[in-house]
Amino acid sequence: MLAIESDALSKVYRSGMFRRQEVTALTGFSIQVETGQIFSLLGPNGAGKTTFIKMLLSLAAPTSGSASVLGRRLPDVRVREKVGYLPENHRYPGYLTGEQVLRYFGALGGAPSGALPGRIATLMELVGMSQWRTMKVKKYSKGMMQRLGLAQALINDPEIIFLDEPTDGVDPVGRKEIREILRDLKRRGKTIFLNSHLLSEVELVSDRVAVLDKGHLLKVGTVDEMTATGQAYVIGITGTLPDTVTVAARAFVIGLSQQGENVTAECRTTAELNQVIDLLRRNNVEITSVTRQRSTLEESFISLITGEGRP
Amino acid sequence: MKIITLVRGTIRELAAKATLYVLAGISTLMLIFAALAIGADSTADGMSITFFGKPASPPVTHDTLAELAGKLEAGFAGGLFFGVVVFGVLGTAGVIPDALEKGTVDLYLSKPIARWQLLLGKYLGSVAVIFLNILYFIGGLWLIVGVKVGVWNTQFLLSAFLLTYVFASLYAVVAFFGVVSRNMAIAIIAGILYLLLVAGPLESRQTGLYLLSESGVYRGILDGLYYLFPQIPAMESGAIHLISGEQALVTPFAQSLLSAGGILGLAAWLLQRRDF
Repeated sequence: MLAIESDALSKVYRSGMFRRQEVTALTGFSIQVETGQIFSLLGPNGAGKTTFIKMLLSLAAPTSGSASVLGRRLPDVRVREKVGYLPENHRYPGYLTGEQVLRYFGALGGAPSGALPGRIATLMELVGMSQWRTMKVKKYSKGMMQRLGLAQALINDPEIIFLDEPTDGVDPVGRKEIREILRDLKRRGKTIFLNSHLLSEVELVSDRVAVLDKGHLLKVGTVDEMTATGQAYVIGITGTLPDTVTVAARAFVIGLSQQGENVTAECRTTAELNQVIDLLRRNNVEITSVTRQRSTLEESFISLITGEGRP
Repeated sequence: MKIITLVRGTIRELAAKATLYVLAGISTLMLIFAALAIGADSTADGMSITFFGKPASPPVTHDTLAELAGKLEAGFAGGLFFGVVVFGVLGTAGVIPDALEKGTVDLYLSKPIARWQLLLGKYLGSVAVIFLNILYFIGGLWLIVGVKVGVWNTQFLLSAFLLTYVFASLYAVVAFFGVVSRNMAIAIIAGILYLLLVAGPLESRQTGLYLLSESGVYRGILDGLYYLFPQIPAMESGAIHLISGEQALVTPFAQSLLSAGGILGLAAWLLQRRDF
């Protein structure tokens, strides 16, 4: 079953006198997210990422199109029984302690009151907040608030967890811990929908990634698909490539260059790559490694946003 | 069940605010004053209520004394009404705008609760806190008058519910503007202005606004508005009459219930249509 499905979802916000000012937040957005995946939505500020989550949670109504969560067509209040949400810039009541926040929102989420104390203790431990659970939230740092927010999103043992900038304000050690929590949740079959600006982190945890810009979906795929750069390969060798080999190889590949002990071969097919390898071996060049050349997710993202990498 | 959780959450939220402690503090000072001031003196000619030990009335029979005590209690309740309106609205007007603030409303509405439930839970929580404040004062004064004068006026005790009912009607207007504006200051100003510029003039329209024009349409519109909105002054005066042991009209209470319900319904409808 698909965890999330949207079909040509669009959102236009209207404001001003007589609601005449229009801002298009999302245009014809269609994606499918399978259960048990970590799916990340990337995009610059104002791309429509948060709007999409808000429409899935019925916080905003679509202007057109449709969406479903866990097989239920939206809007459907019952969907929210199986969903956890960590909003961006969330505000918890400062007069409550961390533990009280979880009890309050757990009760609102419909968790049985008998099960809450145990669940709160487990979650506080999970997000590393056990020792501050009785401290008033108004004394929490930004990082502590994010950890509490993550625990709040998990309090009702949801099937899908929407996280909007979950590592915002969290230190590197904390970010690593959150990544581990996300991986653990995935192992337990949960679906995680992530909005984040921290592309290096998204790259580390995501199964699939979608890139949005100005409300339009630019590309969707696995991290490997997003970062692959055509048929370029990096061949590790010892020593220097003889000029005769370089000339011979350039006769059948798009390009060949050497930098240090790495030879980059731009091929049209894997057959060409094998031809290059055969050529090197015939000329007694020792090969130490062969890897497909990749860009980072950040490079791919920037390339897509600036238009260079658009399909 | 979720509405009860919201009501309890709102009570806790308001308990953390200073404004309502001011109201409770004023109530306490008034109770101390009443405890020190009010007394009764028994002579061969009958009983009289004393004020700081001096007779405030000529000696009367017990029945007349009960009537006098009722009037005394009604006077205090009238004073309390002003305090409830001013401090009650000041203390609770922020509840709904705060719940609808970005970063907070997302948390609430990501849970399986309907928007009308959120509104109703916050509304009832605020009213419950004001009820507790009123009950504290009315209950305290009832005890003081009962112990010191020997008159146990149960109708005065019931006035805690009546005054809460009046506040709840006014608070529907405050809640409506809280939903529309999502701004505490606007909700407060709207509530007070409604009381001063709408409810008051409409109540006394026959001796005030009617004089501006003799047009039947104009006067019909005024009458229509009067029956459309909660009749706060009429209910306040009815409550005071009941405490004094006099008859009071039920109509303003029934009409205000419908009106406040309609206003809250409209607020819930607007809330349902809003994007967050």
